[in-house]
Amino acid sequence: QDTYTLRLAETWGPNFPIFGDTTKRFAKLANEMSDGRLRIRIDSSNKHKAPFGIFDMVKSGQYDMGHSASYYWKGKVPETLFFTSMPFGMTAIEQYAWFYEGNGMKLMQEVYGPHNLLSFPGGNTGVQMGGWFRKEIKSLDDLQGLKMRIPGFAGEVFAKVGVSPTNIPPGELYTALERNTIDAAEWVGPALDLRLGFQQIADYYYTGWHEPATELQFLINKDSWNKLPKDLQAILKTAMRVSAYDMLVQSQDANAEAWSTIKEKYPNVKIKHFPDSVFKAMYKANNELLKEMASKSDLAAKIIKDQEAYLKKTRAYTDISERAYLNTMAEVE
Amino acid sequence: MTGIVMFGAALLLLMVGFPVAFTFGGVALFFGIYAQGMDLFAFMPFRIMSVMQNKVLMAVPLFIFMGVVLQRTKLAEQLLTSMGRLFGGLPGGLAISTIVVGALLAASTGVVGASVVAMGLISLPVMLAHNYDKRLSTGVICASGTLGQIVPPSIILIILGDVLGLPVGDLFRAAVGPGVVLIGLYIAYILIMTRFKPETAPAMPADHSLSRKQEIGAALLAIIPPLALIVVVLGSIFAGIATPTESSALGGVGAIVLAIIYRQFSFRMVWDAAKDTVSVTAMVFAILIGATAFSMVFSYTGGDYLLEDWLHMLPGDHWGFIILSMVVILILGFFIDFVEISFIIVPILSPVAEAMGVNMLWFAILIAMNLQTSFLTPPFGFALFYLKGVAPPQVRTIDIYKGIIPFILLQILVLAMIIIFPEWFGMTDLATY
Amino acid sequence: MRWIIKLDEWLATASKVCGWVACGAMILMALNVFYDVVARYAFNSVSIGLQEMEWHLYSVVFLLGIPYALRTDGHVRVDVLYTKWGQKTKAWVNLVGAIIFVIPFAYLIATYGYDFALDSYKMGEGSGDPGGLPYRWIIKSVIPLTAFFIGTAGLNMVTFAIRVLAGDKSYDVEHSAEGLA
Ligand code: NA
Ligand code: NA
Repeated sequence: QDTYTLRLAETWGPNFPIFGDTTKRFAKLANEMSDGRLRIRIDSSNKHKAPFGIFDMVKSGQYDMGHSASYYWKGKVPETLFFTSMPFGMTAIEQYAWFYEGNGMKLMQEVYGPHNLLSFPGGNTGVQMGGWFRKEIKSLDDLQGLKMRIPGFAGEVFAKVGVSPTNIPPGELYTALERNTIDAAEWVGPALDLRLGFQQIADYYYTGWHEPATELQFLINKDSWNKLPKDLQAILKTAMRVSAYDMLVQSQDANAEAWSTIKEKYPNVKIKHFPDSVFKAMYKANNELLKEMASKSDLAAKIIKDQEAYLKKTRAYTDISERAYLNTMAEVE
Repeated sequence: MTGIVMFGAALLLLMVGFPVAFTFGGVALFFGIYAQGMDLFAFMPFRIMSVMQNKVLMAVPLFIFMGVVLQRTKLAEQLLTSMGRLFGGLPGGLAISTIVVGALLAASTGVVGASVVAMGLISLPVMLAHNYDKRLSTGVICASGTLGQIVPPSIILIILGDVLGLPVGDLFRAAVGPGVVLIGLYIAYILIMTRFKPETAPAMPADHSLSRKQEIGAALLAIIPPLALIVVVLGSIFAGIATPTESSALGGVGAIVLAIIYRQFSFRMVWDAAKDTVSVTAMVFAILIGATAFSMVFSYTGGDYLLEDWLHMLPGDHWGFIILSMVVILILGFFIDFVEISFIIVPILSPVAEAMGVNMLWFAILIAMNLQTSFLTPPFGFALFYLKGVAPPQVRTIDIYKGIIPFILLQILVLAMIIIFPEWFGMTDLATY
Repeated sequence: MRWIIKLDEWLATASKVCGWVACGAMILMALNVFYDVVARYAFNSVSIGLQEMEWHLYSVVFLLGIPYALRTDGHVRVDVLYTKWGQKTKAWVNLVGAIIFVIPFAYLIATYGYDFALDSYKMGEGSGDPGGLPYRWIIKSVIPLTAFFIGTAGLNMVTFAIRVLAGDKSYDVEHSAEGLA
């Protein structure tokens, strides 16, 4: 029997928690399910030195596979933005339903296809936190000119309500926030934020809105995919799906663990929500930006429309199921 | 094994004297094509791009620019000679001044190329002009220029924080003690050494027209403007006006402002300073690019897996493990750069250390001290190449190699102190639960 | 021999022009960073576009500086043996080194760098951050461009070495490091 080795490049460094565990789990699963016929060789960013070159390297066939996040490619292909997480968008389970049962997967291949790529969901972080602030945000005025490290689309939404999104290299982020060079920084969630030490220098930890269900991605070069026999393709698909789901589970556990550590060891940290006026302004800004994107590309318009329709349908059910239950619990306790 | 043979080949070929950067690049080329074919080099544009987008490295040209302007306007000379005068008849004054200035720069950057080259430009000509021993001068500069790696902010500590999952703030705080002790030992070494060999670091000639008091007064007065510049650079970081990288631009512009105040300014001077800066910056980055080709070939031909295999053979008892892992990092530091060590070696060592109940903060500081040393160890210590790149021709590579040895020994001494007496540095060797 | 001298001088000019562009970028970069710091601190105004311009300029400084430093012998050498050697031996070291190391290295980076920049151009790649710079292919094409000029500077090492072998030039005159420290 032929064995196949697939080289996978990931955006993350070696042993990066949760994200890196996902690729390791995926490689192990694929290997075991295929009885050793599939071997995945993972190269982390220390080896390929191109954390944001995954798209290009898999496209050109320098790697067979990649593990990254779709919204990193927004500068290259604007429509890739929609397959990670959208501000005020779906939760993890809602979004998985859109991917696997709705039109998500089909639309994603429509975006990636022209680049000789296949893309699959690659693991979810759950709701990302809204960021670490050194001062409390009490009104829209407090956001005016506020310097915040917030990349990508969420940065554009923030910019529209008066924030100055600021680029700070990750290596200088801690010092920049500590010395007030910037006023706020968004990262991921408790488990990964704890490592950067923001809890030591910022007291206000805001709840999320901008990335309610950040989905990573597996990228596969189509030629590499087509070379595989059907059974191995099926195994690969299954391994990706299972390891993606496992990441959501692991995120929930690791974040809960980290949050309990922060609560216990850093009583200075206070959880905050943005005031309603801020959320309303951001919601409006978000819709305007989506309209702008839709007007520039038919494909973007199609995806936005599909996501909106799916969100409406699925949220109506979430409201009477999960939300209703959590509300009930809140009343009882 | 390709990787190992490649190191040997590079070492031999470096001795021939072809530019270091292109020797690394060229050797990588041959071994890369031999082992993997041409297409391996399709990764090079990505690697170059990641250097381009690494904004922390922007501090290199900016700091060099500040150094060149300070040198061309003679302000650096004024700073160092005045500081040297404060020591009166005591030898070694210039060397100690260099260490002090190096320590101040260390607190404002964590990029080794930036501070070593800036210090080389600022203080090497002054020391040589005052008949300092070449070896002593270059040793002092390399050692004090590398202080930035342990004195926060420091890139090594940030990377280790990431790899080991430790808060950066804790690491920064823990590194202050070792950094201060190291600076103190450098100064103590100069004081003791010049006692026995005063001719290696002659005292500044006294100005007999002035009394000692007047001399001190004049010296203090002369120190103020360039020192104010350094205070501005440092202050801008502490006040949150600028990130450490950006502060170096304030330094460059500030140096030009000083030049204007001291009537040394001309557009010609700025243009010439830019020319020198470009040349030296290119020298530093060519080495980085050559080295990235080198490490690319090393890891894509399986060198990283080979290292992993070797490391899994380390012994399992507490002290045996600590000491041997320090020796391994020290030896590897001779050959491969600290980022590779942080990302390849440390993740293999850390679970073992954790299982033994080792205090990870302490372990991280040990590794950081050790990695700092790796910039200084011949033959591949980058700090040594960088200094050679800005030194006048009469300073030979071999002088630099020999000059650094006492300082490497001092660093090992501090490392041993942290290992044996962690409580002196506010740490414990075992995790306290 | 006459055409070698002509070619040598022509190639030297190419490297020098690279150097001038890099010098201009150097001064602009210092001003760019200075302006960004002042604007952010004093006026709370941040432009991601200008922040990105910083690394664009910085890249031009160090990349185009490499061919310039090749011509001015600014790249550091290990001189354990090199200083002891005569002009002819030095010329041979540089001639062979340029042919087997510099030119092939430049060639590979130029070819793969060209594809790298071309792909970016085809996709119309720009910054993914709010207010970031468009036309990412421009800065990416500095990679193959630099490689091309490293190649010509490598060729220049060859022509210069030939001139030294012919006794027309010597290595001791043009040593930029002397002027620096
Ligand atoms: Na995030
Ligand atoms: Na530092």
